[in-house]
Amino acid sequence: MLFFGLAYELRWSVLWTEGHGGWILEGILTTLKLSALGWIIACLLGMLFGAMRTAPVRIVRWAGAAYVECFRNVPLLVWLFFWYFGAPQVLPQSAQEWLNRHGAEFWSAVAGLSVYHGARMAEVIRAGIQSIPRTQFEAAVSTGLSVVEAYRYVILPIALRLIIPPATNESLNLLKNSSLALTIGVAELTFMTRQIETYTARAFEALTAGTLIYLVLCLGIASVMGQVERSFRIPGLIARVGGAEH
Amino acid sequence: MVCRRSMRGVVLLWVTLGLSVWGVGHASAETTLEKIGRTGVFTVGTRTASPPFGFINKQNEWVGFSIDLVKLVHATIEKKLGKSIKFELKESTPATRIPLLSSGAVDLIAGTMTDTRSRRDSVDFSLTFFATGAQLLVKKGSPIRGVKDIAGKRIGAQQGSTNERIIREKYPQAQLVVFPDQPAAFTALAQGKLDAYTNDGIQLAGLKAKAPNPGGWEIVGEFYSYEPYGMAMRKNDSDFRAIVNNTLMEAIEGGEYFTLYDKWFGLKGEVPYPMSEPVLAFLLMQVVPK
Amino acid sequence: MTFDWAVIVGNWKFLILQGLMGIGAFGGGTLRLAIPAIVLGFCLGVLIGLARLAQRSWIRYPAVLYVEFFRGVPLVMVIFWFWFLIPQITGQRLPEYTVALSAFVVFEAAYLAEIVRAGIQSVPRGQIDAAVSSGLSYLQMMRHVILPQAIRNMIPSLVTQFIVLFKDTSLASIIGMMDLTKAAQIISQREIRPFELYLFIAVVYWICTYSMSHISRRLELRLAVPHGTDL
Repeated sequence: MLFFGLAYELRWSVLWTEGHGGWILEGILTTLKLSALGWIIACLLGMLFGAMRTAPVRIVRWAGAAYVECFRNVPLLVWLFFWYFGAPQVLPQSAQEWLNRHGAEFWSAVAGLSVYHGARMAEVIRAGIQSIPRTQFEAAVSTGLSVVEAYRYVILPIALRLIIPPATNESLNLLKNSSLALTIGVAELTFMTRQIETYTARAFEALTAGTLIYLVLCLGIASVMGQVERSFRIPGLIARVGGAEH
Repeated sequence: MVCRRSMRGVVLLWVTLGLSVWGVGHASAETTLEKIGRTGVFTVGTRTASPPFGFINKQNEWVGFSIDLVKLVHATIEKKLGKSIKFELKESTPATRIPLLSSGAVDLIAGTMTDTRSRRDSVDFSLTFFATGAQLLVKKGSPIRGVKDIAGKRIGAQQGSTNERIIREKYPQAQLVVFPDQPAAFTALAQGKLDAYTNDGIQLAGLKAKAPNPGGWEIVGEFYSYEPYGMAMRKNDSDFRAIVNNTLMEAIEGGEYFTLYDKWFGLKGEVPYPMSEPVLAFLLMQVVPK
Repeated sequence: MTFDWAVIVGNWKFLILQGLMGIGAFGGGTLRLAIPAIVLGFCLGVLIGLARLAQRSWIRYPAVLYVEFFRGVPLVMVIFWFWFLIPQITGQRLPEYTVALSAFVVFEAAYLAEIVRAGIQSVPRGQIDAAVSSGLSYLQMMRHVILPQAIRNMIPSLVTQFIVLFKDTSLASIIGMMDLTKAAQIISQREIRPFELYLFIAVVYWICTYSMSHISRRLELRLAVPHGTDL
């Protein structure tokens, strides 16, 4: 192909020859591992602090808000640098050494991703809980359900369904943001595409491969979650909670 | 259904993008010199954190040996074109410099780039302006004394550098941790996250000299590679290459090169690193007769 | 572990003037990048958002593609693409600043378009019918009925997205643009004081984003529909 007037021959084979295919696979695996771990912790943190933000006790609410405001308002990249370079400094020497022997880069990235996205997940979950009118709860209790039963059978089933779309968005953001881990030396997918680029000087092919893989991952997850959302849809309710932010 | 539609869409977008890129193709019959003349700017890619070749000093200014050398090239270009040309620096890292050059974002790479045969597939190099080899930087008293000791150790390197490639290919037992740029890698070493950081010996000397406590660091091992630094430019542009090469030859012949060498590597320089006899002879022999 | 905050005091000019404001020899600057990116991104976002709601499929379809594509790719990838492609397409050498700015505008417009679309769709259908039946033209209806309500509904999500964009500007440091993050990184290598430096810039980012959300809350109260509707 004549490319920008330069004779730029597309050589897609650079993507799988000389072990580069293995790099891409490794990159995908690391991205998935990093995102999955980060996602689980982010969900737990999000549920905890999201629920705290709706609690009837002021100090608990305040603690939830402090967590969210603190971590949500600073760039993830800064958090990654902070968790990798800054935070371990306050640990005792032995703990630092242990961490360094056991993949400090990966775990700092998990910490950064999960704490940052935990704060954002908390907002999604808070919005979900708050979108259920108080009267639902009162009605449930007045039919003789206990508070726990009311949560278990009425509030949570509705809230969980309402937050599927924004929580899916947020999870995809986490997956995409895991690409920032390359700045602290985690060999994830974006890192590997850059690696192929530096070894072969084939930017177009490498970037195309990386982009398509992310698209397939994101669209795949989105379509699965779309199915889930449709099959659990509450008839008559179309409202979605939260925005489309990433 | 939504998904299938969007997938098809994405493919379409991709094709459109590809076609438009193909169609807009810029005529690159223009030589680098013509381009500099047309735009009035000479853009050079260099390093921000590789003392003393290109770095940001205590006064937060961008300085270095490579930057001083390339200023001589700038002067030659101005003389050749007969008008004043703006001199612009841009950051380039090992991972970014070849795309920067081939995309036309910079006209010349003058940092710490090793001339290699495989890189000559993508870019052209000037004559060698500095010769060094890869070594390891470790904390003083470290058990690592050279590349033979790195099995199982955490070794830091920069993405896209020649030494990263050597370690990956020849010493697979080492745990290689690769960073996009030097600041992250050196900070990680300073914090004990790495057992050693590998780079060209002279760059390690630069890092050591500029570190908060230079005495706490040691450069160990024999050179395990040969790293001749050259300035890189777009391929097949022999006029521009001649300008760069002639400038370097005149600087070596006329002594400006050695004045600059003294400023940065002399005994009172930023990173004391006396030039060995063979390197001196090699530099002088690269200068061809007028 | 001892802390040495002198590293902040000694380099505050570089961090704040150069890194945050972009005043100095290196260009760049977090605010100098974020503000035009927000303004231009919003303009493009409104256009694409309106296009997504268009009746004609040849307008709607490309807009859908645009949004779906950019929401499926990490920003870092988009930045690398721009950084690699722009000089080749235009034949111009552009500073990192311009590359980063274009990448942000194009990328964020996809997200902003979704917010604009949702905002317009949040206006009940009955409002349109009422406006049309009272004899307003399409433009009058948009101008006096739909947009005022839609914008009110959009403000919280818009501001959240602006804050996201502001934070995302830190990624410009990956391609070497001198912003707050890059400035801290460079000083951190020289002084080996990452804890102090990254904490400091975290606070600076926090102050900026927190004041953005504070202003937006004030704005929301100011623009709130006086006699409570259920919007």
